[in-house]
Amino acid sequence: MNRKVYLDHNASTPVHPEVVAAMLPYFSEHFGNPSSVHGFGREAREGLETAREQVAHFLRVGKEEIVFTSGGTESDNMAIKGVAMGRRRGHLITSKIEHHAVLRAVQNLETLGFEATYLDVDGDGLVDPEAVRRAIRPETILISIMHANSEIGTIQPAREIGAVAREHGIPFHVDAVQTLGKAPIDLDAFNIDMLSFSAHKIYGPKGVAGLYIRKGTKMVSVQHGGEHERRRRAGTENVPGIVGLGRAVEIRGRDMADEAVRLTALRDRLWEGIRGRVPDVRLNGHPTRRLPGTCNICFRHVESESIVLGLDLKGVGVSAGSACTSGNVEPSYVLVAMGVPVEWSMGAVRHSLGRSTTAEDIDYVVESTAPLVAKLRSAMPARA
Amino acid sequence: MQYSPALIDHFRNPRNAGIMRNPDGVGEGEYKDCMDLVRFHLRVRDGRVVEARFQAYGCGPTIAAASAATEVATGCALEALVELSAARVEAAVGGLPEPRRHAAEVAALGLRAAARDALSRADTRSDRHA
Repeated sequence: MNRKVYLDHNASTPVHPEVVAAMLPYFSEHFGNPSSVHGFGREAREGLETAREQVAHFLRVGKEEIVFTSGGTESDNMAIKGVAMGRRRGHLITSKIEHHAVLRAVQNLETLGFEATYLDVDGDGLVDPEAVRRAIRPETILISIMHANSEIGTIQPAREIGAVAREHGIPFHVDAVQTLGKAPIDLDAFNIDMLSFSAHKIYGPKGVAGLYIRKGTKMVSVQHGGEHERRRRAGTENVPGIVGLGRAVEIRGRDMADEAVRLTALRDRLWEGIRGRVPDVRLNGHPTRRLPGTCNICFRHVESESIVLGLDLKGVGVSAGSACTSGNVEPSYVLVAMGVPVEWSMGAVRHSLGRSTTAEDIDYVVESTAPLVAKLRSAMPARA
Repeated sequence: MQYSPALIDHFRNPRNAGIMRNPDGVGEGEYKDCMDLVRFHLRVRDGRVVEARFQAYGCGPTIAAASAATEVATGCALEALVELSAARVEAAVGGLPEPRRHAAEVAALGLRAAARDALSRADTRSDRHA
């Protein structure tokens, strides 16, 4: 019987048992609509506001600055379109390696007459704060740079970029879906005006997320309806989910520091193990300035989906850096932006570790990967 | 993506992987959009394939389809092999999900090319002996 090893925590995480326990009463017991005036509604409202306090406490911000949404994608869209629609025209700065929720929101604004600059990154996936400064125009209305990229885990110099944004009085949005509760973020020190985060990346439920909006940030609502979330996001709140998000964030506050140390050691054990057993491999992303649990490795001249399938058959869940859809393979746009040659980027595999990952799991993955890659390479034709 | 047990078996235990000394026919199938490349080597006796070997670069289904294609080819007359359809290869791996259909196409393309090469070499030999 194969071991089961889940190394795809950047895609999603199992809900923490303490989070499940916190959520359960809000399905059938405290089921009221938090906007209702009666006691049933007040019980639900209490859960909602407790969660808001938990998140605000973790971020060290005011609870009125937290808006709950349905996911990281909605949070990103709300931040970017909310600022842009309030201005009606202008220029936005982002990077080439943002999540599609940011990239496509900005591209959508371009079709409406807004202008955008997509900044390059270096070979480690870092945005240069001076490049941000050079891209600023008099009409720039927003800078949106992620905190860490989901594929490679490189952590951006948010503090330095935030300083540039503040110097020019431009709102700074940070997609922190991959970093909240994994790496320290100081909203004041980094001059962050809006921060997107999500529950299911930190052992909370899917379909619930949040956006921090610094008091005084000028933006409009992009979803219209009722008076929910201080008129910033219409729609009845997902109370059990939000309660889960609040508890998940609280647990991260308790566990984050110790887990970061443990996962960094395991992440490096994985890379050292693979590097020692498999020739022609490279690590993608910054060698040290990287999420504790993220290890993206290119296996030269091997197709990443064949590795993912081979490891899946050994009970290991990882994700492919290149995606083959309808017979057309696209190497990862993140790796392309970093200048990784195609014969490498086609063989990119992301391993993302989490709270259940053990040293034995890592050793098993290394032991499973080495013969698999050797077998795939042995059947590989030399290209003319 | 859900794959058939036959496909998983061919991927896990590829049949006839590798190259062949002095083959009677060699052919390649390439699918540039996907960067897939499959190469076949054939041993032929009396107009029939007696041994087929493959090399493949591609996703799991492509490796499995190439492996299954060598079994389809073995015992097959060259005249029949030049008409090999992708559907025949797909059937040999128990079907393919729509986004992976190209795996059967690239394998069939490579085997047809190898069969044509073997036929042309046979023609050349008979011309020499005429």
